[in-house]
Amino acid sequence: MRTRAEANRQRWAILGVAAAVLVLSFVLLKSAYYQLVLTQVLLWAVLSLAWNILCGYSGYFSFGHAGFWGLGAYTVALGMMYFDLSPWISIPFCALVGAAAGAIIGYPTFRLRGHYFALAMLAYPLATLYVFQWLGYQELTLPMKREAPLLYMQFEDPRGYVVLALGLLVVALLISLKVENSRFGMSLMAIKQNEPAAEAAGINTWRWKMLALMLSGALAAVAGGLYAVILLVVTPETVFGMLVSAQALILALFGGVGSLWGPVIGAVVLVPLAEGLNAELGDVLPGIQGVVYGVAIIAIILLAPEGVYWRVLDRFSKRAPAAEPPSQMPARATNIAPLPRAPVSTGADLLVLRDIGISFGGLRALDGIDLTLPEGGLYGIIGPNGAGKTTLFNVINGFLASDSGAITFAGEAITGLRPNQVCRRGVGRTFQVVRAFPRMSVLENVIVGAFIRAPTDAVARDMALAALDRVGLVDQAEKIAGGLTTRELRLMELARALVPHPRLMLLDETLAGLGHDDLGGILGVIRQLRAEGITVLIIEHTMHAMVQLVDHFTVLDHGRLIATGRPQDVVRDSRVIEAYLGKKWSDRVAVPAK
Amino acid sequence: MPFSEVDFLQALAAGILVGSAYALMCIGLGIIFGSMNVINFAQGDFLMLGMYAAFYLTAGYGVLAFLGPYAGPIAAAFLAGPVVFALGWVLHRFIVSRVTGAGAAQTVGAGAYGQIIVTLGISLILQNGGLILFGSTPVGVRTPLSRQSWEIGDILLNQARVVSFLVAVTLAAGMYLFLSHTRLGKGLRAAADNPQAAIYMGIEVDRAHRLAWSIGVGITAIAGGLVATFQTFQPYVGFDFVIVMYAGVVLGGLGSNFGAFWGGLLIGIVQQMSTLVLPYQLQNTAIFVVFLLIIFLRPQGIFGRLSERA
Amino acid sequence: MQNSPTRRSVTAGLALGAISLPALRVGTASAQAKSVKIAMIAPLSGPWARQGQLLRQGADMAVEEFNSQGGIKSLGGAKLEIIYADAGDNTEKAKNAAQRLLSDHPDLVGGSGAWLSSFTLAVTEVTERAQLPWLTLSYSDAITNRGFKFVFQTSPTAEWQAAETLPTALKLAEHATGKRPKTIGVIQDNTASPVSFGKHLREGGGLEKVGLKATVDQIFTPPLSDATPLVDKLRSAKPDFLLLLTSAMPDCKLVLEKLDEFKLAKGKMPLVGNGAPFGSPELLNTIGPELLEGMLFSVANWPLKGQEEFIERFKKRTGEPFATQDALCGYGDVAILKEALEAAGAADKLKVAEAIRQMNLTTGPAAQFFPGPIKFDEKGRRQDVPMIFAQWQKGVPLTVFPEDRALAKPFWPSV
Repeated sequence: MRTRAEANRQRWAILGVAAAVLVLSFVLLKSAYYQLVLTQVLLWAVLSLAWNILCGYSGYFSFGHAGFWGLGAYTVALGMMYFDLSPWISIPFCALVGAAAGAIIGYPTFRLRGHYFALAMLAYPLATLYVFQWLGYQELTLPMKREAPLLYMQFEDPRGYVVLALGLLVVALLISLKVENSRFGMSLMAIKQNEPAAEAAGINTWRWKMLALMLSGALAAVAGGLYAVILLVVTPETVFGMLVSAQALILALFGGVGSLWGPVIGAVVLVPLAEGLNAELGDVLPGIQGVVYGVAIIAIILLAPEGVYWRVLDRFSKRAPAAEPPSQMPARATNIAPLPRAPVSTGADLLVLRDIGISFGGLRALDGIDLTLPEGGLYGIIGPNGAGKTTLFNVINGFLASDSGAITFAGEAITGLRPNQVCRRGVGRTFQVVRAFPRMSVLENVIVGAFIRAPTDAVARDMALAALDRVGLVDQAEKIAGGLTTRELRLMELARALVPHPRLMLLDETLAGLGHDDLGGILGVIRQLRAEGITVLIIEHTMHAMVQLVDHFTVLDHGRLIATGRPQDVVRDSRVIEAYLGKKWSDRVAVPAK
Repeated sequence: MPFSEVDFLQALAAGILVGSAYALMCIGLGIIFGSMNVINFAQGDFLMLGMYAAFYLTAGYGVLAFLGPYAGPIAAAFLAGPVVFALGWVLHRFIVSRVTGAGAAQTVGAGAYGQIIVTLGISLILQNGGLILFGSTPVGVRTPLSRQSWEIGDILLNQARVVSFLVAVTLAAGMYLFLSHTRLGKGLRAAADNPQAAIYMGIEVDRAHRLAWSIGVGITAIAGGLVATFQTFQPYVGFDFVIVMYAGVVLGGLGSNFGAFWGGLLIGIVQQMSTLVLPYQLQNTAIFVVFLLIIFLRPQGIFGRLSERA
Repeated sequence: MQNSPTRRSVTAGLALGAISLPALRVGTASAQAKSVKIAMIAPLSGPWARQGQLLRQGADMAVEEFNSQGGIKSLGGAKLEIIYADAGDNTEKAKNAAQRLLSDHPDLVGGSGAWLSSFTLAVTEVTERAQLPWLTLSYSDAITNRGFKFVFQTSPTAEWQAAETLPTALKLAEHATGKRPKTIGVIQDNTASPVSFGKHLREGGGLEKVGLKATVDQIFTPPLSDATPLVDKLRSAKPDFLLLLTSAMPDCKLVLEKLDEFKLAKGKMPLVGNGAPFGSPELLNTIGPELLEGMLFSVANWPLKGQEEFIERFKKRTGEPFATQDALCGYGDVAILKEALEAAGAADKLKVAEAIRQMNLTTGPAAQFFPGPIKFDEKGRRQDVPMIFAQWQKGVPLTVFPEDRALAKPFWPSV
């Protein structure tokens, strides 16, 4: 998330670009042809920005943005042909069409991930293309309005279209900026970097993805509507074709995906490049323009695989000495009020599991688990590898739906809820392998966890700082998470789980992989949690560390709960010894326990 | 019923025959997609190269012209494979490998982006370079097979397509054996499942990827050579097949090369049989409807493995 | 090329210096003071590149021949200079090409193109506003339904072709066999021009008017993957003849071969088509003459009696086995522009446009290249144009109708 000052700088940059385009159009460019190409640069930049809102930020790539573009174009063309609807009315209406299409498409398609999502998106514009052909809309022309051209967005002067497209681009940039600088954008970036972690941190990933697709679709459809007005001829192949979808992503990938300026850079470079090649070579040796264009984009992407914007930024920031200290280094979270906290009603049952069972294929991963955690203690779950410990956590926090059984949290049934809903009810969790958002700062990582409790983004920031303070990581707040040590990562994840003030913390092998020196700090934090009245359920497979820490042990083996009780009792249980050490050992009852 | 039994069987036969060519293309794409996790937008253009390779091997004074109009085209289709395999090898060595595989995976997410542009660029170069080299006039591999049929009752089976079907099935079976029973093939799959682990196991991931890429485009090129015996083509023909290929691979599901085979076959069958009940124009819409239905009901594809949610 | 410097700097500027190619092109333009510029926009790359190249071949030939014959006489022997632009593979590129031509060459006096009707629609939106007279062979009615004043359609429109094709074909059949066909099979693709043709047959009552019943009526989306289900329907219904409206050669090939496979070809089911792809040399090359023998097709323009010399020159120059609609129209459009310049007596686009509107040619090179007189109505459509029919006879598609300009006699295939 950018600071306010930086966002303001971006706003000025947008205004500056707009002014430059106006100067270019009104002062420098004389011919209608250049005005037309400029208009196309602007429009394609809008499409690419629209694409970027979904795909750049959330990482869900779409190969089918032509669907929205085409629907926009046809909305305008059909509106004008059949209802004499002026584009002034129908183009804003395109936003609705695009958003609706986004909702309809998103509903089934967000079941998919990665390349599968991208490819499924490809199907929509192509299927629509055939439908429009079938309906008989092979060639639509927008009628020329000689009487009231302005009323129908038909300008004599091509600069009229430049101004319109520029206006749309400015709107798209401002929307993108707004998205980037809000929890919307942060949530999308969290989804991109680690979707399960985002979900477990209380982000309603489904909702944000749908919103992103709808916003993206609306913007793309509006741009498509304006495209129809400029081209005046609409054919299914031109607006629903693969070229449109490819254009959207080539421009963004080329310029720098997930950045505000990447799509604009892509459009400014590539659209004139392609057109220039067509102009200069198309009639000399037909086809050579495509070859040169192909070579050019390959060459540039090999030099800057992440896109021009990021490459330039990297260069720039490497060269520039770190003259500017991390500007808004948190001024120690002194002004943060102590956590508002419900009085700990120790003794009441916080989490109750009844007969939880789940199978994968033939494997019975959990079998009839009954577990009750009274509020306010520190509980441990141990068991050998493959005992079902993590699976149990996944069932509690909603990653997995159990085949049978019921889960009650604070008196409320939470069976079958999605992870973010479970998180909202006060269950925080960490992961066996830390799930960080590696390209975000430590502070941002934690802010993501704060959204469910914070009414505003500023509050979220303060809460995150407070949580970092509690785990002793506040000095690292501006570091990029990708560069942290294991201990720091564990602490950061703890802070992220802590920040919304959960009543129950699920810690999955938080101690694993830590050296002896690191262990102390984390154990301290965990004990402090208990002191503050947070109920903690922790998984470990080494018994040693746990015995020192917890009040109560539960032992899992082969998906069954085999023992539960005070640590010193449980370690003497013959079934536990058998599970850990084998039958032979359990027969020799006496095992020295600490 | 608006159609007779003969119509039904004829459409089914057409679907299977058309689908088998799709299936072979899909295997080629599926190997690349499955082993490298790369979306190759140029796959259709390698198909086109396969078609032209077969064409130039047989047409006029082509080296295979002596085999005559029956054996020649089939041999040419097979030979198109190695030709395009070699080209694929070179392209991977100098271009594709720089944005895919182990090296690219280091820079978070960047590789996945770069490869999209690179394959789109290759596609543009092949199409337009094709226009310059091969010209714009549509051509086809001439063989009497394409207009003769074997008759089973009232059902006519086009000979060119039956041959193509047999070749496709044989090759598919061969690929299946190669991937599951040879060391090389198993290495490919290991590299796909877990590149890091494969490195530890001593498998050179980049080499494995290069092999997967080259085999993938080579197999698709053979499919192109087969299609060339019954369809005409020009340098931009690849795009007509790319969608079918991706739909087939996604339908079949990742993790199973045979999934891609069945996916491609299913697409051919849906495409042809939909005409029994739907307007012919909606043939391809029917494909997409089935496609969307399947991803909705079974997001992992028909033969794909269920990936963990958490 | 007076605009070259600005063009170069701005293009290069926009592309961040990526293009410095225009430099290569300075000097290709004729340095002659006395030349008159006309333009042609055609798809030179992309899936329709073949057609664009044929158009260009015809136009090139016309420009060369007219210039060698002394140029435009009323302009003191000024030479014609033709500027080509690539319409590429989509309407946006086509429109850009038009806008670019107008910006780079404000002294254009006329032009022709852009082959595909959707390209032509987009191109003429630009040329109309610039008041540049524009000729096109595209069929779509929409081109001249928009009230434009500077667009001239040299081909009969799609609707008109639809209205004329069947009655003429039936007459030919009746004349040859003494029997009038009663049933028809229609197989068409759903690109713009076959769609408007089909609309006339079905919704416009075109079939009823000639007393035909459609026993097979199928519309497909190109490209066709396999013609089996289509032709299977023909096998069951057995119409008296088949009307085939495909706009791409590969689809046409699939249907024809499938007909053969289903034993419906070689005269068993007479074939009538519409459009130039049915007469393309590549069709002959890929499926050979036997399957084509007897196939009739209506087309906007085809080699006519009186053009024999031209055809020989064309074959020699290009190596094509015969001339087709595209090359003829490329040549013919240049010829019309030349005649208009002669009549206008000035290199002025408005005067050229006026000259085209006033035109009524029945002789001379322009008239030789089109059937019927060169005369446009107020919409910009040619008047009194006969429908041309060509028929494949022994490996060559020969014009068989109208009789006065036919190169061969038609026959109705019968078994």
